[in-house]
Amino acid sequence: MKKKTLSALSPLSLSLVLVLAACSGGEDAAESSEADEVEVAGSDIEDATELTFWTFAGTHATFFANAADRWNEENPDNPIQLTAETYPFDQMHNNLLMALQSGSGAPDLADIELAKFSNFLRGDVQLEPLNDLIEPELDGFMEERLNIYAKDGNYYGAPTHLGASVVYYNTEIMDQAGVDIDSIETWDDYVEAGQTVVEATGKPMTTIADNWYGIWPYVVQKGSDFFDENGELTLDNEENIETLQFIDDLVNEYEIAELAPGGGYHSEEFYGFMNDGGQASLVIPMFYMKDFTTYMPDLEGKIQIRPMPTWSDSDIQTVTMGGTGTSVISQSENTDLAKEFLYFAKMSKEGNIQLWKELGFDPPRWDVWEDEEMREDNVYYQYFHDDIFDILLGIRDNVGGIQINEYTPDVLTEIDTNIMHNVLREQNQTPEEALKQSADTIRQKIGN
Amino acid sequence: MRKNNTLAKWIANSAFILIAFIALFPLLSLIISSFRPSSELMRNGISFSINWSELSLRNYIHIFTDSPSYWQWYGNSLIISTLTIVLSLFFSSMVGYALAVYKFRGRNLLFLFVLVIIMIPFEILMLPLYQLMINLNVINTYTGVMLPLIVAPIAVFFFRQYAMGLPTELMDSARIDGCTEYGIFFRIMAPLMLPSFSAMAILQGLNSWNNFLWPLLVIRSNDLFTLPIGLATLLTPYGNNYDTLIAGSVMTIIPIIILFIFFQRYFVAGLASGSVKG
Amino acid sequence: MSGLDVNKSNNPSTLAPAKRENKMLRFLNSKKVAPYIFVFPFILSFSVLTLYPTIQAFIMSFQRILPGQVEFIGLQNYQRIFNQTFYKALANSTIFMLLTVLILVTVPIILAILLDSRLVKFKTFFRSALFIPALTSIVVAGVIFRLVFSESDQAIANQIVGFFGFDPIRWQFTAWSGMFLMVMMASWRWMGVNVLYFLAGLQNIPKELYESAEIDGANIYQRFTNVTLPFLKPIIIFVTTISIIGGFRVFEESYVIWQGTSPGNIGLTLVGMLYQQGIQQNDMGFGAAIGVILLILIFVVSIIYLLLTGAFKRGDE
Repeated sequence: MKKKTLSALSPLSLSLVLVLAACSGGEDAAESSEADEVEVAGSDIEDATELTFWTFAGTHATFFANAADRWNEENPDNPIQLTAETYPFDQMHNNLLMALQSGSGAPDLADIELAKFSNFLRGDVQLEPLNDLIEPELDGFMEERLNIYAKDGNYYGAPTHLGASVVYYNTEIMDQAGVDIDSIETWDDYVEAGQTVVEATGKPMTTIADNWYGIWPYVVQKGSDFFDENGELTLDNEENIETLQFIDDLVNEYEIAELAPGGGYHSEEFYGFMNDGGQASLVIPMFYMKDFTTYMPDLEGKIQIRPMPTWSDSDIQTVTMGGTGTSVISQSENTDLAKEFLYFAKMSKEGNIQLWKELGFDPPRWDVWEDEEMREDNVYYQYFHDDIFDILLGIRDNVGGIQINEYTPDVLTEIDTNIMHNVLREQNQTPEEALKQSADTIRQKIGN
Repeated sequence: MRKNNTLAKWIANSAFILIAFIALFPLLSLIISSFRPSSELMRNGISFSINWSELSLRNYIHIFTDSPSYWQWYGNSLIISTLTIVLSLFFSSMVGYALAVYKFRGRNLLFLFVLVIIMIPFEILMLPLYQLMINLNVINTYTGVMLPLIVAPIAVFFFRQYAMGLPTELMDSARIDGCTEYGIFFRIMAPLMLPSFSAMAILQGLNSWNNFLWPLLVIRSNDLFTLPIGLATLLTPYGNNYDTLIAGSVMTIIPIIILFIFFQRYFVAGLASGSVKG
Repeated sequence: MSGLDVNKSNNPSTLAPAKRENKMLRFLNSKKVAPYIFVFPFILSFSVLTLYPTIQAFIMSFQRILPGQVEFIGLQNYQRIFNQTFYKALANSTIFMLLTVLILVTVPIILAILLDSRLVKFKTFFRSALFIPALTSIVVAGVIFRLVFSESDQAIANQIVGFFGFDPIRWQFTAWSGMFLMVMMASWRWMGVNVLYFLAGLQNIPKELYESAEIDGANIYQRFTNVTLPFLKPIIIFVTTISIIGGFRVFEESYVIWQGTSPGNIGLTLVGMLYQQGIQQNDMGFGAAIGVILLILIFVVSIIYLLLTGAFKRGDE
């Protein structure tokens, strides 16, 4: 008898378990979504419009939360409640792609990193054009930066910084070697100075990252790029081969450069190496100031910023590199408000000044570079020197922009995995062979 | 003979001490390192030489006082893992058992299906599954995280292999005693399969506890993050948070170790009263 | 059949009033129906959560999928697959699979037999010690391995290398050491689990068999091949099969060491390529095609293995 009941009940109890499980999950989720662990701004305001922002950088989440607080002060009639979620880098981009692909689940605003951005410009673009906000004030922006996040004349991303590539010289080492950094004007001078440094101090003049930071700035500065204006792949053109040859020579011929410890400039191994005075100079965009102040406290007062040395056949003095664009997602129910807020936070003059004051980034709007608020003393001026923006103003007309298209991520992947590794580390391919091989792989993909 | 035996014991025991050391060493070194300043650790790696003066409880004080999210991730992982274990074992033990002891139409086909599911890389199912979860409206819920794990083909496979070793005579005598087919399973065979249940509980628990890619996709808000995702958010090149990462990693492992050591008594008891005795 | 007859004769006395219900119950309880009820929930969840998405993935492999634009492109995705990068990934996955199968099947059998014997003391401790790495999340394992195998000459691995008089190794940058790291990590994490599988299997061997074998004068080796191995066979098949499959599916080990892109693709695996192309680079149709190829590969290899070992036959029926 007992056994009978059991047998009859088992399929039933089974479905019960299923139902119960389904319920409990849903409820828990609803209850706990009110927890206050994330960066939420404006949660105490009634009737505030809810906006969600995804990012991969905790500092950006804080930046936007602060901006939302300021917005709510200035717009009491149109308050917002901003929830800023920080995800791991890769996952944030993947989740966003998935959400756009499937048509639901995306936030209102999202940070998209340069190397990933063109993934989001394929098919029917799911991001809102920002032209109506940008175009009236286009003159104030460094256009080279805006173009990175643009397609077919539409601007889809609000830049976080100009990201002007510069050289950070460790003056302690340069002085020890007796080299005057202001005498370094061309890359030939740089090589010569490097040889003096290596001889005098035994330390490398610089280190080269295994990734695209180790080639892209130099290529663009030479007036070339991985794609031309028509979107044709130029990865293996003459200038690029020459440039990679030059990088290769820095490491393997002149032996004034080494490969960056940890493989890149954003690894802890590298921070430690640099902080201990491991190399005399570093070529990287302005945004790296924040890394210096955060991870390399011992170098305070010893670092001088200068424009990149120039190539003899090009007058480009700096190149905009790296950087994140913030986009408004078309799925959002409040695209207009999201755009207004984004303008307020990152594209207005005030927003640009905050980018410098809070994050230490070189604002993409050059028309604030001379603003008094920008010149107020802060940790960056103390760590480096006072004339940072005067240097930028001096090279403003010679900024190289980069060409981005939908195959850029493929090119960057080839550089990160094959080209730099085979040419610089393994030395089993010449620059020409490596670039040609990678270009063929990508052409095959484009051809399809 | 006896001398020979003592020698063998010596060799076997010292071999195991060495193996246990190798197995535990990475974790021990992580534990020791968790008392070191974390950014220094990321720069130079884990080292044999310990500078005793630099050890401090700073990292732990940090996660206990400054990282409320960390404990929330912890709770989420616990709840999700527990529910996953219960549900997946319930389903898969029945299937494995049926595949092993009954002859029925489609049995081989079903077994083949089970094997095929094991072979399907989860990554290719991600997008279709994700869309399914949206349609079921379980994005950003525990249910959404657990659903795909409930189909546990490896557990089915294991239960089948295990149940094949069960004495079938027991079934016949149970039938004569008036047991129903379900009664036979729940009252007689399932208890005999206890060791396999313990093993699979541990395995499913692990899968769920350490599940990374899927929850990452389904979970949207920080307060529903599971531990691995939460820890991964601390590992970005943009604003590193190694203080929580290293100490947090240690805290991830220690409680399950305690749980496992506790659970193992039952596991061993289950093994001892294994099916052969019945 | 005898069971059913017994039911027939017993039941009317106990359940006389509810005759229709009884019939229903008897139907549900018949030996023919019961297995279907046992497997029903699984079939249901499997159809919804695996079969349906798999079919979708197959369809996707013939499509170019962009937001708002999905079109069938025939075999183009498949035609593109077979290039240098794919062969590299195939080679890495295959080598990883072979090494892990070799290590994770043979070593655990030996350890389990020793742990089951009277030779070893502190069995509980050793068993736990072996199993504990499996409790470590892959993320944490990645952190540990990166710290132990850091390129700095002060990190443990390089200290050991230095002790033997070699130059420090940049573990994450050369092909052999990259593979070594992945295999090490997998072996470290899964060794204890497989030992548990075999230990559970060993409990099924009647102790009398060993005794009678010993009386018959069988030595250790003969007892191993004639008693232990035949009884362990189902478990060995199980562990080998999941190791083959798991080996081909390797991804996380590589991911936590290199975060997606490894220098010279030394850590690129098939699933890694699927992830990189399909998800990171938003080429989901192409990713799905890689997945289908991978599926066929795994399927063929493991079915061959299972056929060779006779796993589809119900051994003693």
